[in-house]
Amino acid sequence: MKTALPLLLATCVSAHVVAQEDAAPHRQLLDRYCVTCHSDRLETAGLSLEDIDVGNPLEHAEVWEKVVRKLRTGTMPPPNRTPPPIEDSLALRTWLESNLDAAAEMQPFAGRTESLRRLNRTEYQNAIRDLLALDIDGATLLPPDEAGHGFDNVNVGDLSPALLDRYISAAQRVSRLAVGTTLTSVQGDVIRVPADMTQEDHMEGLPIGTRGGVVVSYTFAQDGEYDIQIRLARNRGGFVGGLRQPEDHTLELLIDRERVELFTIEKPPEGDDHARVDEHLKARIEVTAGPHDVGVTFFKRAASLLETERQPLQSHFNETRHPRQTPAVYEMSITGPYNATGATDTPSRRRLFVCEPTQLSQSIEENCAEQILMTVMRRAYRRPVSTDELNGPMEFFREGRAEGDFDVGIGKALSALLMNPSFLFRVESDPEEVADGGVYRISDLELASRLSFFLWSSIPDDELLDAAISGVLSEPDELERQTRRMLADSRSFNLASNFAGQWLRLRNLEAVTPNARLYPDFDDNLRQAFRKETEMFFDSVLREDRSVVDLLSSDYTFLNERLAKHYGIPNIYGSRFRRVSLDPVSKRGGLLRHGSILSVTSYATRTSPVIRGVWVLDNIFGAPPPPPLPNVPSLEENAVAANLPMRERLAAHRTNAVCASCHRTIDPVGFALENFDAIGRWREHEGDNGLMDASGGLPGVGDFVGVSGLEDGLLSRPDLFTGTLAEKLLTFALGRGVEFYDAPAIRKIVRDVESEGYRFSSVILGIVNSVPFQMRNST
Amino acid sequence: MIITKKALPRRTFLRGLQATLALPLLDAMIPAATALAKTAAKPVPRLGYVFVPMGCHHDKWIPEGEGVLRQLSPSLSPLEPVRDQLTVVTNLELEMSYPGTHDTSNSGFLSAAFAKHTESSDYHLGTTADQLAAKQIGQDTQLPSLELCMDVDPLAGVCNNGYACVYQNSLSWSSPTTPLPSEAHPRMVFERLFGEGGTPEERRAALQNRASLLDSFSADVQQLKARLTAGDRIRVDQYLDSIREVERQIQRAEHGAMNNPEPDMDRPTGVPVSFADHARLMFDLQALALQGDLTRVITFQLTRELNNRTYPEIGVPDPHHPTSHHGNDPGKLEKIAKINTYHVSFFSEFLQKLAATPDGDGSLLDHTVYLYGSGIGNPSIHDHENLPILVVGGAGCGMKGGQHIRYADQTPLANLHMTLLDRVGVHLDSFGDSNAKVENLFDEVTV
Repeated sequence: MKTALPLLLATCVSAHVVAQEDAAPHRQLLDRYCVTCHSDRLETAGLSLEDIDVGNPLEHAEVWEKVVRKLRTGTMPPPNRTPPPIEDSLALRTWLESNLDAAAEMQPFAGRTESLRRLNRTEYQNAIRDLLALDIDGATLLPPDEAGHGFDNVNVGDLSPALLDRYISAAQRVSRLAVGTTLTSVQGDVIRVPADMTQEDHMEGLPIGTRGGVVVSYTFAQDGEYDIQIRLARNRGGFVGGLRQPEDHTLELLIDRERVELFTIEKPPEGDDHARVDEHLKARIEVTAGPHDVGVTFFKRAASLLETERQPLQSHFNETRHPRQTPAVYEMSITGPYNATGATDTPSRRRLFVCEPTQLSQSIEENCAEQILMTVMRRAYRRPVSTDELNGPMEFFREGRAEGDFDVGIGKALSALLMNPSFLFRVESDPEEVADGGVYRISDLELASRLSFFLWSSIPDDELLDAAISGVLSEPDELERQTRRMLADSRSFNLASNFAGQWLRLRNLEAVTPNARLYPDFDDNLRQAFRKETEMFFDSVLREDRSVVDLLSSDYTFLNERLAKHYGIPNIYGSRFRRVSLDPVSKRGGLLRHGSILSVTSYATRTSPVIRGVWVLDNIFGAPPPPPLPNVPSLEENAVAANLPMRERLAAHRTNAVCASCHRTIDPVGFALENFDAIGRWREHEGDNGLMDASGGLPGVGDFVGVSGLEDGLLSRPDLFTGTLAEKLLTFALGRGVEFYDAPAIRKIVRDVESEGYRFSSVILGIVNSVPFQMRNST
Repeated sequence: MIITKKALPRRTFLRGLQATLALPLLDAMIPAATALAKTAAKPVPRLGYVFVPMGCHHDKWIPEGEGVLRQLSPSLSPLEPVRDQLTVVTNLELEMSYPGTHDTSNSGFLSAAFAKHTESSDYHLGTTADQLAAKQIGQDTQLPSLELCMDVDPLAGVCNNGYACVYQNSLSWSSPTTPLPSEAHPRMVFERLFGEGGTPEERRAALQNRASLLDSFSADVQQLKARLTAGDRIRVDQYLDSIREVERQIQRAEHGAMNNPEPDMDRPTGVPVSFADHARLMFDLQALALQGDLTRVITFQLTRELNNRTYPEIGVPDPHHPTSHHGNDPGKLEKIAKINTYHVSFFSEFLQKLAATPDGDGSLLDHTVYLYGSGIGNPSIHDHENLPILVVGGAGCGMKGGQHIRYADQTPLANLHMTLLDRVGVHLDSFGDSNAKVENLFDEVTV
């Protein structure tokens, strides 16, 4: 595909290129400022600009797009070389961009998404939710997906045996839960609380006046009785943690916030091994089929404040560093049903059973089954379904019907259609009339799927599908209307949780485990609060249709008590997250001040200006530094005294010529964030080394001090941030890496949204209306 | 659930494959009615590892003399029924686990590696012996390896002496930075082995259902292929390969179900409260996994280091850990010996079950080698030498058994790991701090 490109562009070159002599000044600039390093002889970074014809940029579009990016971000020439006069550099960039953009306008090149892309874990979970009104935990059903280009929906063309096996299990389980047939016997699930979760205070979603515990939305397959057993968290000696005081503790079991059982936990006599402390925490309860909130929590006892000389820690989960003060839940296991009577009325059944057979007649039953299956298949396959396609699922229906009843038949047919490639895969195929390598507009049905998987990571709803089937979706007004409708829908929270979760690397939070000695006050509660703050903040900018640059600079955020205490912001009480207006002294606001991002870019023991610098350059500024050279050893941490200021420890980076070529750009970006420690707390000092020196700089922008300096620098170039965001969104929307031939589309989006005040919806619409989103090149 | 004949035609695709099926090695590779020990191709044993914490009382553990194992020591007496398959190895050490701690007793046991001293996620150990074995003999089974324990909740944060808790939680490491979680909940283990279905009939029905779904998926993928361009068809061919692989797995599971007596265990529901019930259940699950050839590599932490379980049922109402710091107090030493014997007794019950289970031309125990022991020798001072170590089983795979190998000097436990790995086809120049192989453990016939 890539090799075919120069040829393709060459065919349209002659009509566009301005006369050769216009390019003479550009050649001079290149010769003077670039060719010193990028010569045929040196080929620095594998690039020579010596003989390449700048008069005809389309001939080497891939090279010139690199040059454009370097010029735009000011990352070339490097800081220690003389830069060309700004007007000249701008003229060169404009010359290149206008040629490349004009060619793209005349002869669009859309690239090629993969023809077969399976639903990844998140998409599968969301699709089941929307198809069957059933909430499943994708993480327990399917393995994680490998990421490519920063997103886990890129490398999804494969189907390993292990994956196929899990998809089969998932289909079986989903159909069992959705239908709730009486044939299935006792099943079980174990819900575990993270071992590093503190349970001393109120948890969101549980009643006021309680502390600790866990609440989950759990789908019961059938009406019947279920055993619920609770085990308490133990410490390394095998003792139940937090049973120091002689008083009893009361544990409450709740279904949909109604108490169904109370247990008393007594402190066992001295010398007991605690094996039986939680033996009796077991109840058999009667529940109707469908989703219920199952909660287990302790009565909170009014306790006087601990008298300590130091500020008490927030975290309590580890016996050595910060022991539990009161008992905590480790796991809740749900087993059942016993004395089951099938499912009567559940959200899934309401959605699935669009008819009920009125009498026991084969033809009536089969008619109804066909009606049910046709409705599900149309949604699941995201297209109209022919009656022929019913044959397979109907065979499964008849098998099941023969073994059991109507519901068993529907369950079997449902599992079969969940294993149909039309559901499991997103298929895009070339129309026959398109010439090899030619570009074509994708069908309305393909467009509908691209749109819904972009905004919702899920299947289209009926309204979107109807618009596609009737052929109006690709009309610009209708497409905009549908896009805005979908953005307003709650499902677009997916852009915060799934897109931003990957773009900003919030997902890596799960792996963040700061050193317990240096950061004893870190626990899962803080980790989850970090993530929630950023997701809610991103969602608010999207939902209120603010300018996307507000992501970098904001006078509000979302906090609960745990996070507010961590940030040192007073007067926020309770576990609930709420929008908080920020005073400038709070040091909080835009994304770069969020604990989530500051922690995922740190090591377990310290901050890393390098990781932070690379993170900002890659994800915000759009100038990802090249990876470290393969044969350069990383800076030996032990070789540099650990008590020196970070800036001095990293000095070798900038004095060693090999390292310096990149680190002169990277490190100053990270230094600007040094006022935030490895878990995102504000600090004025670095250990015993006096006041923190947070001076830094950005290429093409200049030097500044601290996070606000960095923010101002980034805000001075809204084109770069918007372009970077658009590239990330396009990667996510297409499920492929953004290539040089996509650059004109990105530039068009950036130009168009400027007049719209960089509003979030205009960026999303820019993606939706772009060539790569609406078109595709055939092989 | 009754499977009607209607379901069967869908299986034709699968049935056609039966001829090319890779049957479990033991049955397929051995000519009928040949005594195992006499065949040239010694079968490869399955490997199991049982870890116990906090060492032993040596006076009651080490048998008299060396060479032929005539008389078992008091702590090993429960193993009398399998004495001819038992090798006691005395004077093994874990040098890399010093300075002595509970954390490095666990982490060194299967890795013989140095544990990086850290409280956070930058932990570093070594790939453990079981995981090296799993890469070699675990690839044809449903699970490459199975990691089990008895203490339900993993610990978080720092555990002891500034070591991250992973060193105490995980016996198995698939790489120096990848500790594998282990499972203590019998039901979770059961589901990993047998899937969702509850009763044996339901499990069989679920297997049939999987095969039907796979058939249907396969047919639909073939149809899809016709609509695609040549390049994309290559992708679809890869899917078809995966389909065939999953078919083989289902076939293997069905084969297991046909040829072995169906495990008569219903899905366990909770975690048994008593240690004895829980331990027996976890051992039973291992027997089922081996019997069904669902995995060929198992690790089991029978109790975690530092545990304070009491054993009033055998006259030890005191918590294990403080008792283990016996300071040569005769009363405490006696209690440690009792705990040692008690732990060994569960192991012995399990071995006897394996010995009673037919497998190929012999018993399951003949084709399985278990290493049992602790990473601490004398618990009172946390040393890592003179470790209590047993090797049992494998008579059908060349293991001699019925002997006491007694080294004059402290010898790396890693030598034993390397010797067992060698037997399953993992040939290493060294493992951990190894310096030789263990002589005389196996008959001198090369695999």
